[in-house]
Amino acid sequence: MTSKLKFLVAASTLPAVIMNASSAYAAGTLVGTDITNNVSVAYQVGGVSQTAATDSNMFEVDRKILFTVQEDANVTTSVVPGEQNAYTTFVVSNTSNDTLDFSLNPTQLGGGTATHGGTDVFDVSNLEVFVDSNGNNQYDFGVDTATTINDLAPDTSVRVFIVGDVALTQTNGQVAGVTLSATALNSNNTAITAATDATANTDGVETIFADTGRDGIESDEDDFTVSTASLTVTKLSRVVRDNLNGAGTSADATNPKAVPGATVEYCIVVANTGSQTATNVAVSDDLSLVPDVTFDASFTPATDGTVVSGNTCTAGGGTGSFASNIVSGTLTNIGAGQTRTLVFRVTID
Amino acid sequence: MKKTIFALLSLVAAPSVAAPLELASDVFVEREHKRPDGSVATILEEPKLVLPGDQLVFVVRYKNVGAQPASKFTVTNPIPRAVAFSGTADGTEIVSIDGGKNWGLLTQLKVSKADGTFRPALPGDVTHVKWNLNQTLAAGSAGKLVFRGVVR
Repeated sequence: MTSKLKFLVAASTLPAVIMNASSAYAAGTLVGTDITNNVSVAYQVGGVSQTAATDSNMFEVDRKILFTVQEDANVTTSVVPGEQNAYTTFVVSNTSNDTLDFSLNPTQLGGGTATHGGTDVFDVSNLEVFVDSNGNNQYDFGVDTATTINDLAPDTSVRVFIVGDVALTQTNGQVAGVTLSATALNSNNTAITAATDATANTDGVETIFADTGRDGIESDEDDFTVSTASLTVTKLSRVVRDNLNGAGTSADATNPKAVPGATVEYCIVVANTGSQTATNVAVSDDLSLVPDVTFDASFTPATDGTVVSGNTCTAGGGTGSFASNIVSGTLTNIGAGQTRTLVFRVTID
Repeated sequence: MKKTIFALLSLVAAPSVAAPLELASDVFVEREHKRPDGSVATILEEPKLVLPGDQLVFVVRYKNVGAQPASKFTVTNPIPRAVAFSGTADGTEIVSIDGGKNWGLLTQLKVSKADGTFRPALPGDVTHVKWNLNQTLAAGSAGKLVFRGVVR
């Protein structure tokens, strides 16, 4: 009872130090830490207290190599054809109880299914690996230049980028798989000699691999997926009027025939079947290549219309131009799955 | 006044008796070894390969090597900082979670949290373990106390 009372008094003034005492590295007690156990016995002989007997025991904590390589954000990395220094991010985390260096090795998948389900069909060129030296989580060309990880402390992690160039000839949806492999090294950049289960233990500091596969090597995969606009162009035409059946009236538009003197409307349809918005889409049609027609200057070429049905298009709000026998127009940005048109008219010679 | 006499007595008594109580502390690492038939044997090894997370078994042996019976003896063992206490074999111990200032059964102790409230103490909070052995140890007799911990 007395000890309980004593505690209750003490509890109100318990210092925060108690909390701190139990805080420790997630990676565990650092390598080389001495654990000393002291024990003492107080006793009496013949009712007289004697000098306490004591003993102690000490051993040293060995080195446990444990780390992970993980792709950052578990999704494919979108790239566009012709992209330079496209990069994907990995995180190397050191949960060993010692500071380590790591060598890094990027490789490309040689076909087969990439990690996010696509089929690996191409390789990026100029494959390189760099460490995020300034810790801003993005690859900075010319700034992030280290190709190995130096002195990664216990319970810390660093980002690593696999960098490559995408050829202009790659098309929408194509996938390139890559793998980052990291090998643990001593903090002076030398290879680690690890004890195995077959090695006799010594009193000195030993190293054992506790990572997956217990080999001091970890890896993870990611892939690049080409995501781009994919444009198809279709040219439609319809006879608007033949200028014979009640020329100039609405009747003229009833079943007009494609006879000389008739007005024909061309509709150039640009459809984006890709996954990215296409910008600055310029459309031109050289009428010198179309025999026996003359540009109808009474109808201003119209951009940004849509296909109504069959060969009929609406004339959109934008305007095109006609010069040197070439009809041209620039379409507003065409989003993925969208269609825009350039509409103009000619008469049959 | 009483205290002074007490101390003087022990000073006088100690050299003449010449440590009649022998004490030995040992640490072992508990490992599981697979036998060829697939069954698992738990064995105790010398602490030569010790890694964070390893289970440790501390064994304290005591023996009365004097000619007189020893009484009222208490065994005190601070827990090394890098070790998380996980319990004793006999369960008769009292513990301290504040460096040996206050003592009690683990279930009676509480730890203050940052928000000013308290939570029950956990084995990992233990800083010291102590056995008050209310028995007389006859000359020549011995015993041992065992507790476990995990390398943080």
